[in-house]
Amino acid sequence: MMLAAFAQPVFDSQRTFRELLQAMARPALPRTLPIVPPAPAPIAPAAMAILLTLCDSATSVWLQQPDEEAMRHLRFHAGVKLAQRPEEADFALISDPGSMPALDVFARGDLRYPERSASLIIQVAAIQSPAAGKGGSQFAGPGIRDTATLHVEGLHADFWPQRAALAEQLPLGIDLYFVAAQQLACLPRTTRRLEG
Amino acid sequence: MDTSPNLARAQWMSLLAQSDPAELAAAMDGFAPPADLSWLRPAQTGLYMLRGRVGGSGQPFNFGEVTVTRCSVQADGQIGHAWVRGGNARHAELAALADAMLQDEQRHARIQLQVIEPLRRALERRRDEASRKAAASKVEFFTVVRGE
Repeated sequence: MMLAAFAQPVFDSQRTFRELLQAMARPALPRTLPIVPPAPAPIAPAAMAILLTLCDSATSVWLQQPDEEAMRHLRFHAGVKLAQRPEEADFALISDPGSMPALDVFARGDLRYPERSASLIIQVAAIQSPAAGKGGSQFAGPGIRDTATLHVEGLHADFWPQRAALAEQLPLGIDLYFVAAQQLACLPRTTRRLEG
Repeated sequence: MDTSPNLARAQWMSLLAQSDPAELAAAMDGFAPPADLSWLRPAQTGLYMLRGRVGGSGQPFNFGEVTVTRCSVQADGQIGHAWVRGGNARHAELAALADAMLQDEQRHARIQLQVIEPLRRALERRRDEASRKAAASKVEFFTVVRGE
């Protein structure tokens, strides 16, 4: 059995792409993806929308939890190459963030080509933008006026220290897409998490 | 010679792609569409680059682009694919549907008899006519030897 993908491949991926651009330009601000296609487990439908929009035969994808049906689905609908190891991946799909590999495993690009880095699509339990003083982390950086508050549920305790360690290597780094249900929030490498 | 088990499928896919869309539609008319039908890849038209080479050993070169419509469908658990030349979406859909139904053992024999065989005969007839026309216009060249 195989599932369908976007009903209208061109228009649906264009609308999703617009939303991804906006989410990257306004980091830490949750947005709703306009269309979520069917997806086989362990790929979440929102993650599938991103993969279908951004990936093609020129990009490689690494699945944290490889699954025969999911790989067949991705190969058929997106035409992607599947990376065997996380360091080879242009895009990595993290379906179980509790046991994900350390962030410094993934490609960070090199100084001449910082764009040759990995983008992580992380399926988390929930993304919220809580009111000030109600928990969550504070973020600052390009695209954020003053600070933004975002709470991402389901990450392991080492995640933010690992990301902070990467921040020193700018312009090298990795970009993050968090998805939960139909929600999306992005943290590009330029967004700093404020301590405390 | 290719003896792979997919050879039969390759042959019927090729035949469906080369068939006349109207003839294919007429032949498929007698079959009710499968109950469990999902279009995995709706018919979409694009371009393929055709490559050619001169003789058997020449360097490959880009010969030109060809319009191709492709389509994939899942019918009762079988996945059918089609790539047809041109921009006729209905042709691609019917060819993909026929490919899916041909893989279904219960339907195979009937479709083979009522769709594939008539299309094969029609294709052979068209080829035969074309080669007759070509043969009729054949010109023999003789070298005139000048007499001493």
